Amino acid sequence: MGVSAPLLSAAGVIASVVAIMVDGRRAVAIAVVFLAAGLAPTAAAFGGAPGVAVLAGSAVASVLLAWIGWLSGRVLPWLSGLDPMIPAFAPPDRLFGPRSTRAFGAAVAILVASWVSFNVPVGQITVEQGLLFPIAYAWVCGAVRLVTARTVEDLAVGVAMVGIATATAWLLRNGNDALPGAAFACVVAPLAAFLAGWLNGRSSRRTQTRVEVEA
Amino acid sequence: MNPLVIAAGWLALGLVTSAFLRRPTARLVAIVPLAGAALTLFAARSTTAAVPLGGLSAISGLDRAGQGVLVAAGLSMVLVILLQPSVDPSMGRSIGVVGAAATITIASNSPLITGLVLAAAVATLVLRWVDQAPGKVSLAAGRAAGTGTAAILAASPLLPLTGFTTGERPVVVAALLATGVAALLAVYPLGGWAAGVIRTLRPIEIAPWLILLVPVVLLVAERIPGGVLGAGTPVFEHVLLVVGLGSAVWGGIWAVRGTDQTRYGRVFMADIALCVAAIEGPPVSPALTGALIILVTHLTLAPILLRPRDGVLVWPRRVAWALLSGVPPSPAFWGRLLLLEALAAGNVGSTIAAVIAMAAIFTASVMACAIRIRPLAPPGWRGRVADVAAWLLVAVGIAIGLAPQSLATFVFGH
Repeated sequence: MGVSAPLLSAAGVIASVVAIMVDGRRAVAIAVVFLAAGLAPTAAAFGGAPGVAVLAGSAVASVLLAWIGWLSGRVLPWLSGLDPMIPAFAPPDRLFGPRSTRAFGAAVAILVASWVSFNVPVGQITVEQGLLFPIAYAWVCGAVRLVTARTVEDLAVGVAMVGIATATAWLLRNGNDALPGAAFACVVAPLAAFLAGWLNGRSSRRTQTRVEVEA
Repeated sequence: MNPLVIAAGWLALGLVTSAFLRRPTARLVAIVPLAGAALTLFAARSTTAAVPLGGLSAISGLDRAGQGVLVAAGLSMVLVILLQPSVDPSMGRSIGVVGAAATITIASNSPLITGLVLAAAVATLVLRWVDQAPGKVSLAAGRAAGTGTAAILAASPLLPLTGFTTGERPVVVAALLATGVAALLAVYPLGGWAAGVIRTLRPIEIAPWLILLVPVVLLVAERIPGGVLGAGTPVFEHVLLVVGLGSAVWGGIWAVRGTDQTRYGRVFMADIALCVAAIEGPPVSPALTGALIILVTHLTLAPILLRPRDGVLVWPRRVAWALLSGVPPSPAFWGRLLLLEALAAGNVGSTIAAVIAMAAIFTASVMACAIRIRPLAPPGWRGRVADVAAWLLVAVGIAIGLAPQSLATFVFGH
């Protein structure tokens, strides 16, 4: 059965748009789960079941590690916290605030990803197929998220997106080192999720303590 | 000893010291770079220099120049810690992670591994900087340097370029690698973050980037055009030549215009930008030697110049600035002369830009020398030890100036 490039691209684009727009304390885990799901068809087409397993493992590990990080950040008593959600750049309620910028970046990313997809071959994929599009789009969206980051959480989401996109690109290489390379690249996402969870846990403990003291 | 074991040593010691050391014993953090440098002396020797343009491969050893850079950087970091008026024991974590990342970066042929360890180093530094000074400046470091490591990661699936040396693929790879190098070395237009953290944070906070990471990334950047980059080679070289020269002139001007507190950081950035421009210019031999002499000069003098100006070490600081000014026979003179020679082989525009940058650095150094501060007597035996150590570093700087080629050969084998 042949691979439908438009379907693969649509799944990747939807997942990338969700990942670039998502905010909040669980943003990293949500972004990783959506991106892994959106890029899984591409991974399946070129990496087979092991390829999908790598992405799925990364998504599951991200969710688990985000939770473990949050829990340990709350429990460990000897560390004070940095809140990863405090914005350092534009305030969140502006008309052309960070989300508008990200949406604009996601739109521009379509052009960049199209050019990359039709001009840059990876491994055995020929330039005419355009199968690099969802991966290139996810990577550019990750880079946009990094460049427009207002908070540490944004940085973590951007890094996780780049990690998942890079891992899927490694699966397209189809060489001996494709699967180990993808697994290495995927490690970034769970680590980013753990870090964000840990920082969220520490800052939520601090907030809770302050509320208790005031009560 | 495998570089992975050395990196594990850096990491383990960094985590242990940051977990167990307390304020009174904080200076023991110096054990981390000292042990890292000592372990690096026993590294398995690789006959060829690692260039991160290959596929996923095992790390086997360090080449002579890489080993020299890591040992010199480790010892310099030790002296930075010992000469600081106060040290935060949790610095050990940043130093350990960055030292480990530097070791693997210089030993790895795989851009994926290089990108991953550099991302870990940048993440560790940025989290610490955001923790120390939350705000736009520290977050911007994460934005720019994080994008740089992301660019290196993005290039990894496209490498090696065997069979793809023409067309768009090598050009895209070269652009991504140039972005990564420029962001990590803080070369404009991706260098504003470093200027910001130099202005905002205590000098010791930026020392892991400045001393451990920059020399390694510079050495790797020098090696990249020598690998299989095909049609991307001129793109990589020309982009870094242009942004390097522009950055050197800009950094030099701001070293003159800026405050005394940021002057050393600006001069360092301008010198590194000059090195980037020269080593990515025409393939001539003096560039690498000049860059290595500049590197060893900064690694020698940074412990003195990264100490906050507080009336202690006034005279060693003045002599250190004189050694950095570029007046012969200071080591900086020989280094910049070789860089200028390499750039002059390219075109007259490069030469003029480099001369302007060097003149600005010279002016900044003279201004730094001329600042009058009443010297304070070193307090207690610790102060006297710091004074002796600073003068010893100055003596090493003078020795480098008197025999630059021999010192470069001794440290880097080049």
